[in-house]
Formats: sequence, C-alpha cells, structure tokens
Amino acid sequence: MIQKKVCMVGVYGTGKTSLVQRYVHSLFSAKYHSTVGVKIDRKAVELGGTTVNLLLWDVEGRTADQDIPASYLRGAHAVFYVADGTRRDTFEQLFDLREHARAAAGDVPSVVALNKADLKEQWLLTPADSAKLITAGFHVLSTSAKTGDGVEDAFRQIATATMSAAPTQPVQPPVRHGN
Amino acid sequence: MPDDGVPETANAGGTGDVSIRELTELRELLFGGERRQLDELRRRLDTTEITPEELAEKLPQAIVQRAARDRQLAIALAPTVENAISESVRRNPHEIATAIFPVLGPSIRKAIAETMAGLVNTINRAIEHSFSPQGIRWRVESWRTGVPFAQIVMRHSLVYRVEQVFLVHAGTGLLLAHVPEGTSDDADLISGMLTAIGDFVNDSFEPKQTGELRTFCAGDLTVIVEPGPQAYVAAVVRGQPPDTLPTKLQTTLETIHLQWSNPLESFQGDASGFVTTKPLLDDCIETVLASDRAARQQGLKRFAWVIPVVLLLAAVTWWGTRGRRQWDAALTRLEAEPGITVIRAEREDGKWQLTGMRDPLATNPALLLASRGVDSTDVVARWEPYISTEPALVLARARRVLAPPGGVTLKLDGDVLVVEGRAPAVWIVRAESLAPALAGVGSVDLSRMTPGLPADMESLASAIERRHVLFAPGSDVLDEAALATTVTIASQFADIVSAARTHRFGLALQVVGRADPTGTERDNLALSRRRASAVRDRLIALGVAATQLTVDATGSNDPLPADSPAEHARLNRSASFAVQARPAAPTSGSERQR
Repeated sequence: MIQKKVCMVGVYGTGKTSLVQRYVHSLFSAKYHSTVGVKIDRKAVELGGTTVNLLLWDVEGRTADQDIPASYLRGAHAVFYVADGTRRDTFEQLFDLREHARAAAGDVPSVVALNKADLKEQWLLTPADSAKLITAGFHVLSTSAKTGDGVEDAFRQIATATMSAAPTQPVQPPVRHGN
Repeated sequence: MPDDGVPETANAGGTGDVSIRELTELRELLFGGERRQLDELRRRLDTTEITPEELAEKLPQAIVQRAARDRQLAIALAPTVENAISESVRRNPHEIATAIFPVLGPSIRKAIAETMAGLVNTINRAIEHSFSPQGIRWRVESWRTGVPFAQIVMRHSLVYRVEQVFLVHAGTGLLLAHVPEGTSDDADLISGMLTAIGDFVNDSFEPKQTGELRTFCAGDLTVIVEPGPQAYVAAVVRGQPPDTLPTKLQTTLETIHLQWSNPLESFQGDASGFVTTKPLLDDCIETVLASDRAARQQGLKRFAWVIPVVLLLAAVTWWGTRGRRQWDAALTRLEAEPGITVIRAEREDGKWQLTGMRDPLATNPALLLASRGVDSTDVVARWEPYISTEPALVLARARRVLAPPGGVTLKLDGDVLVVEGRAPAVWIVRAESLAPALAGVGSVDLSRMTPGLPADMESLASAIERRHVLFAPGSDVLDEAALATTVTIASQFADIVSAARTHRFGLALQVVGRADPTGTERDNLALSRRRASAVRDRLIALGVAATQLTVDATGSNDPLPADSPAEHARLNRSASFAVQARPAAPTSGSERQR
C-alpha cells in the first residue's frame, strides 16, 4: 500500500474542501477546520495496477490574519494548490503560497487547480495568467467542484506526480543490530 | 650488531684498501636498494613489536572488526575507559559536565517528569482506594491475607485494555502499521489526524520546551503517544492504563527505530516494509481484567460512598438532638392544650419533672406526651385538679352532663350555652335545669330547640304506634292475625332502635293493654294487663330486649276513639304501643379522649 501526504493549499474560500468533499473518503467533519485547522481525508487513486492512497491534508485556507501553519505542510509529498478563477487575489497569492510551502515541505511536486470552472463567464483570469503560472513552473488544471469537471484528473495527476518525482524506494529488510 | 651479509675480506695493504673501497662502492651502487630492504625485513623478523605508526594506521579498522565480532574489546576497554573517565572527572569535572550537559539536562527533566507523573498517578489511585468502600474491603483483605495493601490495590485495580496501536511516520504523519488488523478502516486518516493534533498542540502551546503531546483522555479512553525521531507509537487504551505501559511502548519504539532504521529513513509512502513490525506492536495489545472488580467507577460515581456517610452523620446528629427536640415540641403542645396549665418543666435526675394543673376533663397529659414520641417512663408528672373555664372545657363538661342526643349542637357564646337541634321534650326540660349549674355557664339559650324525635325516627315511631294487636272478646290469647302483627312490630322496633343508636337516643316500647267497656272495670283492668303481658312476652320471644319493654294497662279507661260503638269495642280489645325516647345515659368515666 502506497500512501502519499498531499496538502491542499490555497486562499480561504477557493473551494478546497468542496473539491475534496465529493471525491474522497471522509472520516472527520468540517468542524475540524475551525478547531484544529486541518481535516484529513483519503483519496484512493489507481495507477497502473497500483493503488495510491492520497492522504489529503485539507488545511484551513489562508486569510488576511492567519497563514497556513507550516507544521501541517511538513513532510508533504505533494501540494495541491487551489485558486478561484473568479478571484484574482487567489491567483496572485499562489506564488507566495508556494514559497511558504517550499519552506516547510521542500520542493515537492504540485498542481494548481483553477477552480470554479463552471463560472467561466465570471472569471477574472486570462490565458496570460495561466501562461504566467506555467512559466513559473506550476502544473495548471481547470476544475469545477460543482460539476466535477477535472477533479478526478487533478487527483490522478498529483498521484502520478508523487510517484514519479520520488520513486518509492524498496524498503530494505530490517537491519539487525547486535545488543 | 647485525651482519651486513658481505664476506669479510682481508683488508691489509694500501692497494688492497683502494680496491676494497671501490668494490664496496660498486656493491652499493649495484645492490644498495635491495640490501636496505633486506635489512628492514630482517629487522621485522627479529622484532615482534609494532611501531606506533603502524598501530595508528591499523587501530580504527581493528576496533571496528573486533567490535563486530564479539564483545571482548568492550570488556577489555571498559576498566580503562572507566578509569579514564573517573580520572578526568577528578581532575577537571567541568570539562565532562560541559560535554554531557546537552544530553543530561533533557534526560533528567524527562526522567523527573515521568517519575512525578507516575507518582501523582499512584497517589491519586491510593487516595481513591483508601476512602472508597472497595478500598476498605481491600484493607480488610490485606489484613486478612497478610499481603501488603499496595499489592492488593494493584491486583484489583489494574484493569485496562490496549485496544489499538498505531505506528506512525513522524515526518509525514502517514501510517506505517496498525494493530489489531481490521479494527479500523480509517487508521490512516486517524494517524494523520493524530499527527495534526500533535502539531496543533505544538503550534498552539509551544510545549517543545517541555516535551510533546503524550497523553490525552476522552471518557474512559486514553491515547498514549510515545514520540521518537522517525516514528511515533500511539496506543488507544480503555480503562486505567498502568504506569508501565508508556515504558513498554517506548521500548517497542526503540526496537523499531533500531531494526527498521533504513526503511524509516527512506520512507516514501510505501508501508509494506513495516508489516513485520506488527508482531512487536501486537505485544502491546493486551487486556488485563480483575475478575472481582465491579463496573468501573467514573466521575461522580466515585464519590457515591459520600452520600451514605453524610446520611449516616446526619442521622446520628439528628438522633442525638431528637430527644430534646421531641420534648420541646411535646411541651409546647401540652401547654396549648385546654384544661392543662404547666407550671414547671425541668430536667432533673435524668428525668423530666412536670408540675401543673389539670381539669379532669382535659386530655390525659401522659397520653398526649406519648403520642408526641416522649417516653412516659422518662417523665415524672404531678397534676393538681382544677376546673377550667376555657370554652373547650366548658363545652366538654356540658356535653358530659347533658348528654345531648344526635342532631343537637352545643355552643358557647360568652357564658351563654346555646343549644340547637331537635330532642325529646324531657331532655330539653332537663337541660334547662342542669346547664346553668355547670361551671363556666352563666345561662342557657334553648330558644332554637325543637321538641321531638329526629324525623326518620318519628316516622318509624308513628308506624308502630298506629298498630294494634287485637284480641277476641274476653280473651288474652294472641290469634293468628295478632301473631302476625307482633312480628311486624318487632321488626319495626328493631329498625327504630338502630336509628336511635345513631342519634344516641335511649328508647323504650310501652305496651298498653286495653279492654272494651263491657264487664266490670276491675275485670277489664286485669284483662288488659294480661293482654299487655301476652304481647310483651311475644315480643321478647321475637327478640326484643326485655329492658326496652314496659307494660301498662288501662282497662276500659282512656279508650282509643272510634267512629262506631262496634268499632270502638273492637279497637279497644287490644294492646297498643308508645315509643318512648329517652336521653342517652350520661357518659361514664372522667376521661375524655380526643
């Protein structure tokens, strides 16, 4: 069983929890966000005969007053950034969020989900913005938590990225030390 | 002096000397290098000692090899190392102290913290067990069996179950292993959340100075977390975890760190290599039951024993003051009682001494005190008789003397005795004469009295009085019709007697014998008497009490009126009846019971 820690990172209200809610196995209620600041869910992704369990750390979104706790990002195998296509600030903060995540988790694979694709007519992001993200090294996807468009794909891509970026090292037999 | 290996030739003579020198030089040129090597080899063969240079070269490798093979090196070095350390400490303690301070400080803190936590736990449990009924039972058991109390407590109280054990990768919070298998499908989520909560506590309260999140409880569930550098163990325990459990978890974690150090370091999400840790984790799963321990006491239940103790104390206190309170209440009641005046009430010689005055008609004080829970043997009373003019006593006296029939009420208006109701005239007359003689009664008001029997008795009486037992001329024998009439009368009289009882009336039936006008007056009188006696005897035979029957004979005097002479004669050859109501006899005895 392969497990990967994936952190959902984004500004408050971008739809991280909505993305997670319908497509994952949840044990904890959303109230954990307001209490502990994180809720952990599981998303199993099949990749070529291997099941990868993504442990999604749905971290409470960044607000003006509160940044994402670095300790929750520590040890992440990948970061799932979420921005809201209808709010430019959520896009602009992605660069800073990436710095924050890098400081805590290192340079791990990531994807950017530009969410709320169902409201394309209200989008404030232009193709040039997407291009800017791509230039900055982000892997950009468009998702809609409402219709489900692109969501499965996003999870699949991030699962693939975790598997290819750092191939799981075969666990060696335990080393027996003398007393 | 080692031989150089060159044959010694004769060296006498000048030319010989030159040739030898040349030869030596030549030899040196041709074989010098080999000769030196040869000299070195010979030296080595001749001496077994190793040079410091050689040793410096070989020592580290030698130590590693030997240490890997067995423990001889450690055994050999131990005394020297010990001596070296003690010498160093003796010469300059500061040096060693500085060196080990970073290790020592946290270790000492940790050891003290754990010891204190264990101690507090033990004290808590000791206190808990010392004062509970169970604790007392255990004390008895300890005393009975001679086993120390501490051991008894341990034996009984160690009830817990380690339900689940998680091995979690510290860096990522990912689950490495979980036992028992299949108890939770969400063990991976739980381990993630456990990690997040640990992070949350660290971030929120900065406990890094003192340690990490170690234990948290919810109800009777305790989660014990033993942290390690690469992974941590979390045990879910139901019940009271023993002090030894954290140590056990710690040992398990240390073993895992030691034996799985490579997989832990290179962990990238594949936990399959940690399946083999499960036997170790399984060792931590255990259930300890104490068969004779009742349901676990929790929260306030633990203090349930306080309730009976408090109740017992309250009962003892109440009982202690009960006698006094009872006496005070009874005395107050006694003083309020009409016809009783308490002059003195004191405790002397272990008894209550009572002195006072009492109207003979007042309630018996001994009975009143007894009814209030006062032990009569605890009271010595002396009562002087007196006549009370309290209204209640005046009325009681009037009732006793006048014996009013039912339906008659007596009231006192000032010193006027007001009598109201319906009573036989004879009673009214008697009341009028007797009442003013009663103490406390100035005059009697009988204006609201109606003479006569009560209504229900009146109708029964007139029914009897309308009947006549008729006889044949000159005869005093009851014929068939007369016998039937007497049966009716006996039955009706029984009815009126029972009615009179409810009205508290005395009652008599007067049988009046009669005769028609024929014959002499003397004969008629005798005949009428025989007729009355015959009827009386018959009524007695029918169950009427002889004491309630009176006999009178009128002969042909005072005849019953009739319409015709024939009817007159027939009607007066008879016995007629009169129901006589009398006041009930006055109540006997001097005590009036309330």
